Amino acid sequence: MTTTLPPVLRLTDVVCTFGAVSAVKGVSLEIQRGEVVGLVGENGAGKSTLLKILSGILKPSSGRIEINGAVCNFRGPKDAFKAGVGVVHQEQSLFTNLTVGENIEQHRSAGGGVFGLQRWSPINRDAAVALERVGVKLSPKTRVSDLSFVDRQMVEIARAVCIDPSSGGAPLIVLDEPTAVLEHEETAVLEREIRNLRKFAGVIFVTHRLDEVLRVCDRVVVMRSGKFILDKSAKDVTRDELFQAMAGRASQVVQRRPARSSEGVTPALEVHALRGAGRYRDISFAAYPGHIVALLGSHGSGCESLMRTLFGAETYDSGTFEVLGRRATNWSIARAVKAGFAYVPAERKVEGMVGGFTAAQNIALAHPDKATIGPFLSPWRRDGVAQAWFDSLDVHPNEIVRGMSRFSGGNQQKIVLAKWLVSDDMKVFLLDHPHRGLDAGAAETVNAQIRSACDRGAAVVLIPDTIEEALAMADELIVMRDGNISARYDMSTAGPLSVENILEKMV
Amino acid sequence: MTNTSRPANPGSGSAPSAVDATVVDKIRHLLTGGAGRSGFWQTFGPFLVFVAMLVIVSLRNSAYLRGTGISIVTEAAAPILFVALGQAMVLNIGSIDLSNAAISLMGAVLVALMLPPLGVPAMIAVLVAVTLIGAVNGAIVAFAQVPSFALTLGTLGILEAAALVTSGSETIYVSHNRELITALYQSRPIGIPFTFWIGVLVAILYWGLLGYTRIGQGMTAMGKNESGAIFSAVRTRWLKVLAFAISGFTGGLAGISIVAQAGSASVSGLGSDLLLPGIAAALLGGTAISGGLTNPINVIFGALTVAFVPIAVQAIGISAQAQSLVYGIFIIGVVVLTTHRSVDAIIK
Repeated sequence: MTTTLPPVLRLTDVVCTFGAVSAVKGVSLEIQRGEVVGLVGENGAGKSTLLKILSGILKPSSGRIEINGAVCNFRGPKDAFKAGVGVVHQEQSLFTNLTVGENIEQHRSAGGGVFGLQRWSPINRDAAVALERVGVKLSPKTRVSDLSFVDRQMVEIARAVCIDPSSGGAPLIVLDEPTAVLEHEETAVLEREIRNLRKFAGVIFVTHRLDEVLRVCDRVVVMRSGKFILDKSAKDVTRDELFQAMAGRASQVVQRRPARSSEGVTPALEVHALRGAGRYRDISFAAYPGHIVALLGSHGSGCESLMRTLFGAETYDSGTFEVLGRRATNWSIARAVKAGFAYVPAERKVEGMVGGFTAAQNIALAHPDKATIGPFLSPWRRDGVAQAWFDSLDVHPNEIVRGMSRFSGGNQQKIVLAKWLVSDDMKVFLLDHPHRGLDAGAAETVNAQIRSACDRGAAVVLIPDTIEEALAMADELIVMRDGNISARYDMSTAGPLSVENILEKMV
Repeated sequence: MTNTSRPANPGSGSAPSAVDATVVDKIRHLLTGGAGRSGFWQTFGPFLVFVAMLVIVSLRNSAYLRGTGISIVTEAAAPILFVALGQAMVLNIGSIDLSNAAISLMGAVLVALMLPPLGVPAMIAVLVAVTLIGAVNGAIVAFAQVPSFALTLGTLGILEAAALVTSGSETIYVSHNRELITALYQSRPIGIPFTFWIGVLVAILYWGLLGYTRIGQGMTAMGKNESGAIFSAVRTRWLKVLAFAISGFTGGLAGISIVAQAGSASVSGLGSDLLLPGIAAALLGGTAISGGLTNPINVIFGALTVAFVPIAVQAIGISAQAQSLVYGIFIIGVVVLTTHRSVDAIIK
């Protein structure tokens, strides 16, 4: 081996423009074998575009890409894959109707087999090896639709890891927010796995969690407005420095509000011994106007399911719950919304929004009364309402008739919030992982809106993305494990709590 | 003229110039209820295609421009228009109604049977009945969660059998009160049968419903993303019932227009083959088969085009054997032209 191996990836002045807009404005980067490079930036900074270029989905307008010293001109994802780029996308891209083995093979054999025929035993054997490598115990014959979210993510990573570049050099593995949808324990496993990838590959790791990037990566690159504006060793940079570089402003330290007394106040939502077979049991708690209750639990603890039940999207088997002192019967989404419930789902693209509608249509969907005159809908009134929310939430780009799916994740989430916030009479605000896939700036906007809804008298039930967030925001913490409440803390009376205290109750 | 409901034609088939672009945008905004950008061809294509066809045929046979053509085409288009409007409303929520042409045939048979003893109330009774049949379709789709394709394939068979039995497989002539219904066909403002005008009116109503009411927005939202709509408290089940009821109702109007035209009803006669032309007209009018996209006003031109193709083929002098060929190629071509595409849309 010579000492002058070419870098796994070398980008030289890569530019990508869409019409008049440049998403990537001349970036250059080198990644050596054995190096984990963290790529951070706000939504819309150009990260996704850059990753699409690396994975062969988009063509750069100009500039040069070299993988292991060879100049690449990808004509499609297949070429990128052959050259040795393995990508784990932000949105899961597995075929849910196929098995784990088929998914892994489908990716690997992108070049096509002999007459397109498949031989099953080597497929499953190879898949098992790849799964083993990422440390997950799954049968390659399992159908992906039967897997949990977490396991699917592990399969995606196994799929990216099993590539074998034809050039013979080290592969480049690109992880686009692989931890965004994972819970705490799995995140730890994944972080360990990413450090393992060092042994044989160069890694680009995209994340919004700044402490994570500092823990996992050797080097951090910050992208803003299509340019790399910071490139430093992870040892020499602080979290605040990263935030400032990303957002162009310093992080705002939010002061905890003094908890309000709930004595004598009718709870907005009171749950008694609620049980949903196989999901959760014996759940009792109350949410008061102006209070934030955080539900914490790892995947499968029943938090999500409980929240969906409260919104009327899932059924329960026994127990009761009361909304403003009145017992909820024949509960459904329509009734919940009528009673002043709002729900921000974790699966934003599927459940949170109607992608083909414009932003304005989405905003008017759940509470159309603001946009209607009698039974008739007035596009002019609707646009007025939407414009007001666009301005107050600072949505980019500021075009209310733009198709919802054409906004970036953070801006979509702001529009989803606006859809519920148009109601003057929100009683219970349910949020399931509202920061999933959001950059720090957008997450701050979301938190500010949660607090202001709270101040206007809504009871908030929140499933936060991180324990730190729960500690910072909640008035009451409810920790769930295997469908039961394993601990609860009243934050106004509880002593100082650490992340470890809570993790202990979760696992 | 048929284009009274539409604003002036902004150009002769070419892309709009920069000067009238804002006018076009405003018209588009109004037509789509502020539903965002859609291409020039998606908004004006169905209208322009029909006009272009009319002009080409008139070059061969100038009688077509003097109104005879319009009369002939609208006569043939009226039943297709009703069936297509119903179909478009169902396609828009992401379902399909294969039974609506059979509903219209059943409606025609019932009208022909009941009109002599009952008079006008017969028509109202039949419209109520077919609306209920449609609602039952919708209720089964929504509450028993049967895929609409499978269910309506079933109801299609049932209704055909029912129509066959009810009519005794004979042509039923309207013996009394005939003028009550044929008047709908024979009275012709501007040379266009009144039944077609009813179709235009219904199209405008449906257009208003979709673009300018909560119900219509809910329907379109459901067609685009049903989960997203459900989680925004759109009552998708009831809207399904409603959409299928609308399809049944419009099918009934098709039945009435058939009897108005023929003075009789028969299982194998006029209007016995409306299912595929109805779907074709909805598609030519820019309706997406995958749901969430339709414009009832454009469906008018879709129906006119579908009705016109066979007539045009004859008028131009293409041999009868090649008719289906031309028809097929033409429909593919027009759908290619008028389909709404965007970067993230998946066309099924």
